[in-house]
Amino acid sequence: MSDALLCARRLSVARAGVEVVRQVDLRIHAGEVVALLGPNGAGKSTLLATLAGLLPAAAGELELGGRVATALQGPSLARRSACANVEAALQWWGVPRGERRDRALAALDAMGARELAERPARTLSGGEARRVHLARVLALDAELLLLDEPFAGLDAPTRADLLYDAASTLRASRRATLVVVHDRVEAWALADRVAVMLDGRIAAEGAPAEIFGSPPTPEVAVFVGFAGRLEEPGAVRLVRPQDVALDGDGPLRGRVTRLVPVEDGVRVELALDDGRVVALAPAPGPELGTEVSLRLAGGVRFPR
Amino acid sequence: MNFLWDGVKQAADLLTSGDPDTFEVVGITLRMALWSTFFALALGLPLGLALGLGRFRGRRPALAVANAGMGLPPVVVGLVVALLLFRGSALGDLNLLYTLNGVILAQTLLALPLVVAFTAASVQSLPEMLIDQARALGASRIQVGALALREARVGVLAATIAALGSAFAEVGAVVLVGGNIEGETQTLASAVLVRVSAGEYGRAIALGTILLGLILLLAAVLTFAQQHERRPLLGRPS
Repeated sequence: MSDALLCARRLSVARAGVEVVRQVDLRIHAGEVVALLGPNGAGKSTLLATLAGLLPAAAGELELGGRVATALQGPSLARRSACANVEAALQWWGVPRGERRDRALAALDAMGARELAERPARTLSGGEARRVHLARVLALDAELLLLDEPFAGLDAPTRADLLYDAASTLRASRRATLVVVHDRVEAWALADRVAVMLDGRIAAEGAPAEIFGSPPTPEVAVFVGFAGRLEEPGAVRLVRPQDVALDGDGPLRGRVTRLVPVEDGVRVELALDDGRVVALAPAPGPELGTEVSLRLAGGVRFPR
Repeated sequence: MNFLWDGVKQAADLLTSGDPDTFEVVGITLRMALWSTFFALALGLPLGLALGLGRFRGRRPALAVANAGMGLPPVVVGLVVALLLFRGSALGDLNLLYTLNGVILAQTLLALPLVVAFTAASVQSLPEMLIDQARALGASRIQVGALALREARVGVLAATIAALGSAFAEVGAVVLVGGNIEGETQTLASAVLVRVSAGEYGRAIALGTILLGLILLLAAVLTFAQQHERRPLLGRPS
């Protein structure tokens, strides 16, 4: 197991007789934050539940180098105050009564939820409940922390606040952390390493820049945002919107097939002779159905 | 209607005059009801938790048995317990027949399915994630059970109210197992039966009124404990 706090070898998990996690190999070392990224139904939460000891593995080996604390997807707070919820978790963890209150308040403070301490859990908003939920698991100071989509269902500003608070809190400690996330922004903010899970398998693993900049397979590339696809001799080229520039002097021509307003302009979908690409342009963007010139400034090629 | 009112006034007189027979039967009733409810809770809460939260073979049939047990005819239970307690029978050596402890045993058996079924239904309705989250934070089985009971306390208190209510109202098992002996095994409900049989309707209504008062008092206390934290779901300002 060397110095890894979590070491899974060829781990498979079945739900209702159907294998949903397939031969996963995963190692996480002390001080590392690993983001597990994947589409709905990829098996992320099932893998996490197995690592947490809530689901049995159908096959494979799992070695843990310390105690595991897991924050499941929903906040699931009991009907008591926010602080009492954290204290209850500390009691379950075996922390002596005299230490619980101080540790609970410190954890709430670290998650920016100190002022919520005496509020009944049922009166907390979604974002507040998530802060308490994270504080509860952080208070345990476990060697291995598993977080299942800690920012799911939050509005954008709340999510951003909580994300940045969590990012600094998680990095500040010397524990191993696996966090299931739903999008690349969260993975960038939180993780030293990203594992992409597709169809029950770890399809790619590496530093965020490596996975998001040079994905190893077309499937991973499509999942991480390479939405454009061009056929080239003997290869297929996948490109992200930021790899496509609408340029009057560009060597390629494409017809505008769809325009979708986005936060900072217009998302332009283009049909080319050899495929389709997506570009971002300042509003109002080109006319629908018109031909525009464009230039590709990146992308990844995969031999056919 | 005057008949009933006279009975209520007589009940008040019995209580305010410190009638020793009345206080004795009230005491026996309370002892029987509280002890049988205590034993039913002590046995029924863990069983209800196991049936509500557990995942094991035979759980559903066991739940069906508990649910069916809520409709157990008290007379039949009383008869079976009495037969088991007869000298020479399986439990004859316990010498419980025609004793208050025997009555408590019979009433515990009647209340047990109520506690098991109500508890199992209450904890089953808790969000699964709440229980899984506690496990994921290191809670032991006992701690998970304690959390579930605390979260499902509305249902658990309903089980307690049902168990107490059935004990106060019980007649058949009390008479068969306890013999309805005045001053020993006679409860308010079985005393009402005796008074009616003797044609003492006024006294019967008086004892019945005291019985109703006791039930209302205990149910009110438990209902207050059950409901004081509940927030209204309707008519709340947005």
